[in-house]
Amino acid sequence: MAAKPTFSQEISNLLYASHGNPLKTCIQCGTCSGTCPVAEFMDQTPRRLIGMINADLKEDVLKCNTYWFCASCFHCTVRCPAGIDIADAMYAVKRYSIWHKTYSEDLVGPTFSETFVKTIARSGRSYEPILAPTYMFSMGIKEVLQEAYMATQMMLKGRMPVLPAKIKRLDNFKEMIRRIIPVGGAE
Amino acid sequence: MTQTKLLIIDDDPDYVDGIKSILEKADYSVDVAYNPKDGFKALESGNYDLLLLDIMMGRGAEGVMVARKINKDPKLRNIPVLIITGIREQIAFLFPGQPVHPRFLPTDELLEKPVDPKFLLEKVAALLEEAKAKKAE
Repeated sequence: MAAKPTFSQEISNLLYASHGNPLKTCIQCGTCSGTCPVAEFMDQTPRRLIGMINADLKEDVLKCNTYWFCASCFHCTVRCPAGIDIADAMYAVKRYSIWHKTYSEDLVGPTFSETFVKTIARSGRSYEPILAPTYMFSMGIKEVLQEAYMATQMMLKGRMPVLPAKIKRLDNFKEMIRRIIPVGGAE
Repeated sequence: MTQTKLLIIDDDPDYVDGIKSILEKADYSVDVAYNPKDGFKALESGNYDLLLLDIMMGRGAEGVMVARKINKDPKLRNIPVLIITGIREQIAFLFPGQPVHPRFLPTDELLEKPVDPKFLLEKVAALLEEAKAKKAE
């Protein structure tokens, strides 16, 4: 009979199928923070986040933006001397905060991920013009114009589709998703 | 008479506390596993009369995999499974407007979180009764 899990155990439950070592094996060397390309935008570095999870500082962990800023480049995972799958741990905390609805409303991350998954599930491809509005409103005028200019350039060069692309045999793909997450009329 | 043994596999400790206390008050003996791996091990080793299963665990919809694994196992197949899930709140944005299909998995019954205690107890009792009748055949 298992005792009620602490926050760090809850996170490791979310990570139980991951291939990396458990977070408890972290030696706090700081390699992850050193290699992280977006560490300067985070309020806590990845090393500190792991330390905070191990110390069961639930509120502080969920309050910080570290895991939402993770660019999923997997540099930390590759370089971690203790063999922890840190990027996967970031995803675990993301899942935790989405499932428990603990993220703050003004965050771009949750809506962005939701829209991304939705476009993939609908057409099999991501489509930037639908994705862009999820984060556009959090930027200044200058950045928005820059983004629009960039998008037009990319469209002219054929780097970005004007109309949403669809994959071949979309029905099969949708059936596949239904097999994984069976919601709705699937028998 | 021995107590009826139930197993809960759910990763949300607060939610587990809730349904566990409801079930224990109704005089069931309740065991809990907080991740699918432990849950499956417990299911194989212990002799349970009913399984209450969550869907969204671990990497995503792990409960689905547990349910399928149970259904493939000839020994475990006879255990009635009651799914209690918050899947609609968690990922139903993927399938807007579509209901959670009550038979989307080869399990016996599906309830959606939040569950009404009275309703939960009714369902549990009905499933146990059904399993007993099946055994007697």
